Amino acid sequence: MPDMTPLPGQTIYVAPAADTPLEETGTVDTSAPPEGQWKEAWKQLRSNWIFWVSAVLLVFIFIVVLFPGLFTDINPRQAQLSRSLEGPSAGHWFGFDRQGYDVFSRVIYGARASVTVGILTMLFVTFVGLLTGAIAGFYGKWTDTIISRIADVFFAIPLILGAIVLLSSLNNVWSNRGYWGGVLAVVLVLAVFGWPQMTRIARGAVLEIKSLEFIDAARAIGATRRSNLWRHVIPNSLAPVIVTATVSLGVYIVAEATLSFLGIGLPPSVVSWGNDIAAAQSQVRSGSNLHVLFFPAGALAITVLSFMLLGDAVRDALDPKAKKS
Amino acid sequence: MWWYVGKRLLQAIPVVLGATLLIYAMVFLQPGDPILALFGEKPVSESVKAQLEAQYNLDQPFIVQWLLFLGGALTGDFGLSYSGQPVADLIGRAFPVTLKLALMALVIEAVLGIIAGFYAGLRRGKLFDSTMLVVSLLVIAVPIFVLGFMLQLVFGVQLQWAPATVGGDASITRLILPATVLGLVSFAYVLRLTRTSVVENLTADHVRTARAKGLSESEVNRRHVLRNSLIPVVTFLGADLGTLMAGAIVTEGIFNIPGIGNLAYQAVLRGEGPTVVSVVTVMVLVYVVMSLLVDLLYAALDPRIRYA
Repeated sequence: MPDMTPLPGQTIYVAPAADTPLEETGTVDTSAPPEGQWKEAWKQLRSNWIFWVSAVLLVFIFIVVLFPGLFTDINPRQAQLSRSLEGPSAGHWFGFDRQGYDVFSRVIYGARASVTVGILTMLFVTFVGLLTGAIAGFYGKWTDTIISRIADVFFAIPLILGAIVLLSSLNNVWSNRGYWGGVLAVVLVLAVFGWPQMTRIARGAVLEIKSLEFIDAARAIGATRRSNLWRHVIPNSLAPVIVTATVSLGVYIVAEATLSFLGIGLPPSVVSWGNDIAAAQSQVRSGSNLHVLFFPAGALAITVLSFMLLGDAVRDALDPKAKKS
Repeated sequence: MWWYVGKRLLQAIPVVLGATLLIYAMVFLQPGDPILALFGEKPVSESVKAQLEAQYNLDQPFIVQWLLFLGGALTGDFGLSYSGQPVADLIGRAFPVTLKLALMALVIEAVLGIIAGFYAGLRRGKLFDSTMLVVSLLVIAVPIFVLGFMLQLVFGVQLQWAPATVGGDASITRLILPATVLGLVSFAYVLRLTRTSVVENLTADHVRTARAKGLSESEVNRRHVLRNSLIPVVTFLGADLGTLMAGAIVTEGIFNIPGIGNLAYQAVLRGEGPTVVSVVTVMVLVYVVMSLLVDLLYAALDPRIRYA
């Protein structure tokens, strides 16, 4: 640090030219290829603590989903009516509900239905949305018009309203669906009304990418239209699709819980957070027995929060332009 | 401008037609006879059955049924429900209630969200900002029916500040609590949107110019930052009205409000096909009209956008 007192005749310190030489600061290594979008994004993600918090939570939730037996050896369907509505105690941390089910065990086993619905719906919606959106955006003209109008039709019907109508119709045709049938029905119904959103996102991304120069370049060196779409346009349009998919996972989990809450989602025999919250409503009326509502609702909220935070972190990493706040 | 409105309205026609056809197919294209379901266990004579089928057009092919429904809907006649009431009357009673509820929710979320988002954006990274961020995350993550239920328990049952259920008398004071619940999730989105927008605008060129020409800080914030930040917020609010009306189904269930969501839900449970398709049709129309209004609003607020 040089002496920064102003020189005689100056009011502020101005460094003499000799003290500020222009130095070579190193050159960009043009022989190495630039780091790819995904590597760059991963570097971003790695340094974001929100990503780590949500990732740790989600890993934990996935372990609960896959191996609920690791956390409790109490059967979630075993009713001990003598202990109905008992509060939390040593062996039963979350207490019992009215049926005498162990709430802790229900929360652990309920994770599977909620998370499975969220993930399957997300996969379904992403697959259909990406395909239709990419084809509409890439081929344009009447292909675009037809796909976009069909998407508009499904988009115009509100998600929950459409879902309860379709689910109640489904009940007439496919009434006894069991555990996985019940899960699949909710997934299908949410996907039917969820895909247009992804179509719009994918279409927008493809429209942007397709007008870039490297697509023309690929075409000029002999790539066919189809290989251009699959090898260049779609891979480069994935970022916004992945961001939307991650955020929407939480939305679908809430939607499942809402449908189950309305008594039309998963069948009552399925242990799920939505069903338990719905059942808790009548047990908490007077303000006592809050534990019956609190624990499944809390588990649901933490799961949704984890997916949303992950979505935020992924957005920051993949879309530097959006990182403003 | 008018040309654009006309074009958009023309584009909306296939969307409305398609959406009604879709919902009509979901409700009426399924096995099972709704007339037999009406009578339950009781035997039905052939002539009564035939007459009822004719009354509800169930003797016609599916497409004809749908066209007859559309023709009626165009003149505001949605036919009769299976219980014999004109569906238009049912909707006419329920729709204003839901509209009132949704508008109240919209005002609540707009006022609270914009004020909180504005101050959070101005004081980015400070305590208020972090608190608001946590609040918004919680509100989005905790399902609306849990929030609604907790607020009903605390304010309606324990403190008795507001009626726990609304019932037949849907006056503004009785709707305040449900409207707050309905607006909570969107409040979080308005807050985040305003905050992002304010942060973005704080460093914009026109704000620097406003400062450079000597405007006071509060005047810069109010007239240049806030006003420009409101463009995306206002368009969000416009689109949100339709979402609120459709999403009111849960809130109306919790607080027992005789609105359109409750009507649709009860109709679905009872297999009242004519009511279900009519309510969904009305909601689709609300969505189409609101999205057109939002686009026009966008152009009115942002002079960079012009529709030719």
